[in-house]
Amino acid sequence: MFSRQPLTGAVKVPPCNSLLMSIIEFKHVTKRYPESGEALSDVSFAIERGEMAFLTGHSGAGKSTLLRLIPVIERPTRGEIIIDGVPIHALQGRRIPYLRRKLGLIFQDYRLLNDRTIFDNVALPLLITGHNPQDIGRRVRAALDKVGLLRKEKRLPPALSGGEKQRVGIARAIVHKPPLILADEPTGNLDRELAEEIMLMFREFNEVGVTVMIASHDLDLVRRFSRRTLRLEQGRLIGVS
Amino acid sequence: MAFKRKPVFRRGLFRMPLQADTRLADRFKAYLSIQQGSLKQSFGRIWQTPVASSLTIFVVAIALALPVSFHALIQNAREPIEALETTSQISLFLKPELSNDVGRALAEKLKKNPVLKGASLMTKEDGLRELGAYSGFGDALAALSSNPLPAVIIVKPAATDADSVSRLLVELKSLPEADLVQFDNEWLQKLQALLAITERTVMAFSILLGFGVLFIVGNTIRLELQNRHEEIAIAKILGATNHFIRRPFIHSGFWYAILGAVLAWIVANLLILGVQEPVNRLAELYGSPYRLSFLRMGDTLILLSIATLLGVSGAWIVVAHFLRKIDAD
Repeated sequence: MFSRQPLTGAVKVPPCNSLLMSIIEFKHVTKRYPESGEALSDVSFAIERGEMAFLTGHSGAGKSTLLRLIPVIERPTRGEIIIDGVPIHALQGRRIPYLRRKLGLIFQDYRLLNDRTIFDNVALPLLITGHNPQDIGRRVRAALDKVGLLRKEKRLPPALSGGEKQRVGIARAIVHKPPLILADEPTGNLDRELAEEIMLMFREFNEVGVTVMIASHDLDLVRRFSRRTLRLEQGRLIGVS
Repeated sequence: MAFKRKPVFRRGLFRMPLQADTRLADRFKAYLSIQQGSLKQSFGRIWQTPVASSLTIFVVAIALALPVSFHALIQNAREPIEALETTSQISLFLKPELSNDVGRALAEKLKKNPVLKGASLMTKEDGLRELGAYSGFGDALAALSSNPLPAVIIVKPAATDADSVSRLLVELKSLPEADLVQFDNEWLQKLQALLAITERTVMAFSILLGFGVLFIVGNTIRLELQNRHEEIAIAKILGATNHFIRRPFIHSGFWYAILGAVLAWIVANLLILGVQEPVNRLAELYGSPYRLSFLRMGDTLILLSIATLLGVSGAWIVVAHFLRKIDAD
């Protein structure tokens, strides 16, 4: 259902600062919370451009914390993070929005606006970047088509099933063609079949050049995709397979 | 800086300014269309919550209508008082033993003085006739064997401000022919003083009520911010700048203020309409052509711009505070 048209329509190979640089680079990153101690301890890794990688570990292992550091929702206590060639551990506050526009973020709880139509939800990243209305209409429909929800653009999120909501979340994450997609437990609330469907969708994006990083505790699902997997345990990176 | 993609190919230097201009014009166009769209949207939001919005708009309207109506009434009062001022005159009572001829000569002399607009003599006989006509003592006066009234010179000063008038009064008093000098317009000066006090008071209240508008709009925007907290958080995470988040709220503030101001304008004019008829009748009784006037164009513009300024600043202060708070979290 997702291959009705070639994927190159809406998701093209994104422009990069340099093809040689890793798109995500963590160097000895530590994140400590005053209340709960170290959530990440001395984590170093790199994700290459065009890679699809998984981040696994039990809940509380630091997956979400790690993903929250990339859009600077939180800042590391120590260490360096370089995204698309730009060191972001000390990024100025007013620069943060422009970093986030390069990312496609997907959340376990979807984070949709329940009082806005599906169309409006998906259009939000384009409104933020100031696209003109015709352009927005075209791109939003392309993104909705990609996730198979074109016919439901006028619905409100509460009228959708969990899988559909997550597909709206994905459409919103890809509508502005980001070079990097970060998904935090995207299938956490979905049954097996839907979870696999969502994962296949990510693979399709990856096949056209988008870097995808997915945090998931569903090891079975992760194994079936046989991609590089970063394993976190109690805030430490214990293995890459 | 880091995230701005630098152009790979530089065009010829000559083309740079032109290119920059068109891009600036394009950007300005895009900016205008965004502003327009956002204005429409925030108006739509106000329209969709008629009860909550109209409460705010009514309060803004009342807070603005009070000072505006008072101001309009003062403006209206000022006009006839200023008209009276130009008719102010001084009565110079000559010593009773002096004859009309002496008075006439003095009046001629005074006429030539540049600080006076005019001087005319009211003879003893004129005075007696006037007194008889207005006092109702006509018969009693006719019984008098001789005319006890002095000749009076009615002097019109050229400058009517308090200083020059009092200087003039001293001068006139020092004339050897003068018996008594009476400035007929002292009550007018008192009235003007009273008007000035009223004006100041209205101004003070206007400032207070202006702060009221600022706070009302600010508080309404604060509630709106709270209701849309989740939306703002999502927009921020998707890369919205503070400017983007601020915009619709500033526009809401604008709409509350401008709609309130329009309502205030209507209310003020209705108030004027309400008192217009009796005031006009009073003016007619005094034989005055004076008519109560509605809010003037200039005052209307001032009302609208001050209201806009208050609404926008109220919204701005609250949104800025809110954004600082969520940025800190």
